[in-house]
Amino acid sequence: MTAYAGLVLAVMVVVYIAAKLFKLSTELAMFAAALGGALAGGFGLPARHIAEGAMTYLDINLIFITATLFMNILKEAGGIAFVVRRIIGRFHRSRALLFVLLTVLLLVPGALTGAGSVTVLITGGLVAIVLQTMGISRVRTVAIVFIIAGLSAAAPPVSLWAMLTAAGVNMPYIGFFMPLLVPCVVAALFTIFFLGRRSGEIDLEKALQELPAPPQGMSWLRVAFPFVVFVLLIVIGRVWPHDTPVVGLPLMFLCAAAASYALSPIRLDFLRISRETIEQLLPLIGTLTCVGVLVQIMTLTGVRGLLAVTTVTLSVTLVFATLFIVLPVSEAVLMWGAAPVIGVPLVLLFNTMGLNPIVALAGMSVIWPLGDALPPTAIIGRLTVDVVGYKDAYTRFLKSCIVPAVFIMIIGTLMVIFSSELSFLTGL
Amino acid sequence: MTVAGNGSENRGGGAPLVRKLVLGALGVLLLVTSGLSFYRHRHLEEPVVLSDGVTEVKKLSDYFDGIRGTVNDCNVYFFEGAEPGATMFVMGGTHPEEPAARLAAWLIAENAVMEQGRLIVVLSGNRSATTVTRLGGAYPPDFAIPTDWGAQTFRLGDRWSNPLDQWPDPEVYIHYPSRQYLAYVDARNLNRTWPGRPDGTLTERTTYALLELIRRENVDIFIDLHEAELQYPVISTIVTHERGEELAIFVSMMLSDEEFNIGTEYSPKNLHGLSHREVGDASQAISLLFEAPEPFLDATRGRTTREQLLTGIDEFVMKAGEHGLLFEHIDESGWPIDVRVGRHTSTVLQTMEAWTELYPDRPLSCRGVPRYAEVIAEGLGHWLHDPSEAAPGRLVTE
Amino acid sequence: MAILQTLITVLYYGLIAYVAVILIWNFSKTRKWEQEVLYIIVLIPFLLRLFRLK
Repeated sequence: MTAYAGLVLAVMVVVYIAAKLFKLSTELAMFAAALGGALAGGFGLPARHIAEGAMTYLDINLIFITATLFMNILKEAGGIAFVVRRIIGRFHRSRALLFVLLTVLLLVPGALTGAGSVTVLITGGLVAIVLQTMGISRVRTVAIVFIIAGLSAAAPPVSLWAMLTAAGVNMPYIGFFMPLLVPCVVAALFTIFFLGRRSGEIDLEKALQELPAPPQGMSWLRVAFPFVVFVLLIVIGRVWPHDTPVVGLPLMFLCAAAASYALSPIRLDFLRISRETIEQLLPLIGTLTCVGVLVQIMTLTGVRGLLAVTTVTLSVTLVFATLFIVLPVSEAVLMWGAAPVIGVPLVLLFNTMGLNPIVALAGMSVIWPLGDALPPTAIIGRLTVDVVGYKDAYTRFLKSCIVPAVFIMIIGTLMVIFSSELSFLTGL
Repeated sequence: MTVAGNGSENRGGGAPLVRKLVLGALGVLLLVTSGLSFYRHRHLEEPVVLSDGVTEVKKLSDYFDGIRGTVNDCNVYFFEGAEPGATMFVMGGTHPEEPAARLAAWLIAENAVMEQGRLIVVLSGNRSATTVTRLGGAYPPDFAIPTDWGAQTFRLGDRWSNPLDQWPDPEVYIHYPSRQYLAYVDARNLNRTWPGRPDGTLTERTTYALLELIRRENVDIFIDLHEAELQYPVISTIVTHERGEELAIFVSMMLSDEEFNIGTEYSPKNLHGLSHREVGDASQAISLLFEAPEPFLDATRGRTTREQLLTGIDEFVMKAGEHGLLFEHIDESGWPIDVRVGRHTSTVLQTMEAWTELYPDRPLSCRGVPRYAEVIAEGLGHWLHDPSEAAPGRLVTE
Repeated sequence: MAILQTLITVLYYGLIAYVAVILIWNFSKTRKWEQEVLYIIVLIPFLLRLFRLK
C-alpha cells in the first residue's frame, strides 16, 4: 500500500511540477495532478469522483461569491472611499489612532469573506494611498497590506483554513472566534506599527486629492445599514434559532448586498458587478473547486492516508519545529488545499497528544496565509503588488515582510505548543 | 482583474469558438456521466424479504404526519411475539456510512421471529443520508454482499442528510431544546437532532417522528446501531443512558465473557442531540447505542474502495495502531463486515436475554437471527434472502 | 415557518441558477483558454445542484 500510494503521490507531484513548468495556473495544475493521480492509481478518469470532489466546497464558494458581491457593491457605491476619507479627515492628527482604524479597515473584508484577496481589492488600494501619504515607502506599504490581508483571511468569523480543517476531522467550527481574533489583531497592529514606524504625519490635502471622491449623498447610514442587516440576521438566527427559518450565510450576505444596492446614492449595474465579481473570484473559487477534486482523488487512491499516517507518526518536536515552514510552503503549493491535506493529519496528531485542537488549529491558521506571497502561487502577494502599484523587485517586498512574518510564525507556533493552556480562549 | 490573468489569449476568430465548444462538450460529458451515477445511487432500490416474523410494516409518517411524502418516511417493521412481553426498537441507518449498522438491522428484518415480546426495526433511520456519499470522501456509491443466490447491492450513504433534501445549512447549528452550539453541518446529522421538533428541519422532524413512535408504541429499549473509526475513543462499546446502566453492564459482561470484548460508556449529560442522551431523557425507553469498529472511516485509511469497506483491512490504519494512536486493535485480518455485523446481532440478542433476566415478567425472546460466530462462519449473505423467491406481499424496498 | 423555509431554499436554487448563468456568460466572453477550462470546472457543481443531482 505504501509503495502504491507513494507512486501515485509521486505521479501527482510530477504532473503538478510539469503543469507549473508549462505555466499553468495553480488551480489547473492541481486539477491535472488529480487526474494524473487517478490514472496512476488505476481508476481511469472517474467522473463521479471528479464531480463529487468539485462539489465539496460549493457552499463555501457561495459564501465567497455573495460576500464579495456585497463588498464590491459597497465599493462601487462609494462607501469604502467615503469611510477612508472620513477616517483620515477626522483622525489625521493622531498617527496611532489612524493606524488602528486603517488596520480595522483592512481586517473587515477578509474576516467577513475569508479571502485576503477581497481585502486587497476592496480596501487595500485605498489604505495604501493613505499609508503612502504618511511617508511610508511603497515597498513597506505593500508589505503592510499583504500581511494584514492575510491575517484578515484568517480572522473570524470566516476562516477557511480553520473551517476546512475542522470539517475534515468532524470538529464543530465553534470556539474559534477569540483564538483567531486575538492573534490576528495583535499581529496586524504589530505589522502596521513596525513597518510604519518611520512615517510622519499624514499629508491630508494630498491624501484627499488622491483618494476617489464618494458620490453626493453618501452617508454613514448608507454604509452602516447593510452591515446592520447582516449582523441582525446573524443575531436573530442565534437568539431565536427555533422560531426563525434557517437563512444561511450566503443569503445573509446577499441581503446585505441588496441593502447596499438599494441604498447606493448612484445607480449601480448589478449584472456588471456580478460578472466582475465572478471574474475576480475565478482563481479563488477555481482553487477551492480544484482542491476538492484533488483531495477526493488523494482520498480515493490512499495518498491522503499516506500523508496522514506519515504526519501523525512523526516526532512531535520535529512537527513543532517545522510548522513555521511547512504551513506557508503547503499554502504556496496547494493554497486552501493545505488545510484538508496537511491540516487534518496535524490536528489529529495534536488531538491525540492531548493538545487543544481549536487553539492549535487557530495558531496554524494564522501562519498559513504567509505562504500566499511565496511561489509557485504567490497569488495574494502578486495581487497586492499590482493593486498598490509597486514596480520594484518582488524579493525586496518579501524582505520587507520578514519581521512581521517571523512575529506571526512565533505567535502561531506558540499557540500550537501552548494550546492547552490557552484553551480558555475558546470559551467552551 | 489581475489575479485571473493567466492563460494565453487566442485572438483568432474561429479557434476560440471551437475551443469553447469542445470544452463545453467535455463539461456536459462530465455533468451527464457523474449526474447519472448520482441519480442511480439516489434511486437504487434495496429489497427486503420480510421474515415470517414480520407482522406489520408501517411508515414512519404514521406517527407524525410532518414527514409524510418526504424521503425520510421510512419503513417500520413490526414483529409481534407469540407471547406478550416488552418492546424493543432496533434502528440502523442513523449514519448510513456505517454499513454494519444497516446490515445488522437487515438480518433481523429478514430472519427474526419473536417468541416473547415485541420487536420494532428500522433499517434507514435517516433515509435521506443513504442517498448521498460524503463530499471529498471518495466513497463508492454502493457495495455488494455475496449471498447463496447471487449478490445483493446496498447503497452506501453519508453521516449527514442529503443537501438535496435539506438546504441551506445554518450559520451555526443550535440544538433544540438545549441551545447547545454544534457544527453547522450537524444540522443534518440524525444523531445530533434528537429529540427533534415538529416544525424543524427534515432531520429534526425525522427524530421527532422516531420519538413519537417510541412514545406511542411504549418502547422499553431503544437501540441505535453505529460504527466508528478506530481513532475515535468511543468504539467497541455500548453507550448507555443512566437508566440503562445495569442492562448495559450485564450485556457487556456476558458478551465479553462468551463472544467478544465490548465495553460500556455512560452518555454524557451535557452532550446534546445524541440518541443515548435525548431518547432516554424524553421518553420512557432505555436508550442504548452500539459501536462497532469500521476502519473505512479512519482518516489514515489507504485506498477508499469497496474491498476496504467490507474487509476492514488497511495497512495505514494498522501503522497508526502500531504508534498507539488507535482505541481499538487492528491486524492483518482487518475488521470484516461479517465480524462487525455479528457483533451487532449478538449484542442485540444478548440485550434481549439480559433484559429478560432482569425483568422476567416482561420477557423478550427471538429466534432466527444469527449470532456473532454464525455470521462469521456462514457469511452475512447467507441470511439475506432471494427477492425473486419472496412470497407475494413479503417483499418491500428501502 | 415551513413555507418560509421552502421559500429560502427556492431562493438558494435561484442564487445557484444566477451564478451558473454568470459563469456561462463569462465563459463565453473570456478569450483565455485557462479561464475557459476553469469556468467549466467551477460550473459543474452549480449545475449538479441546480438539476438536483447532487
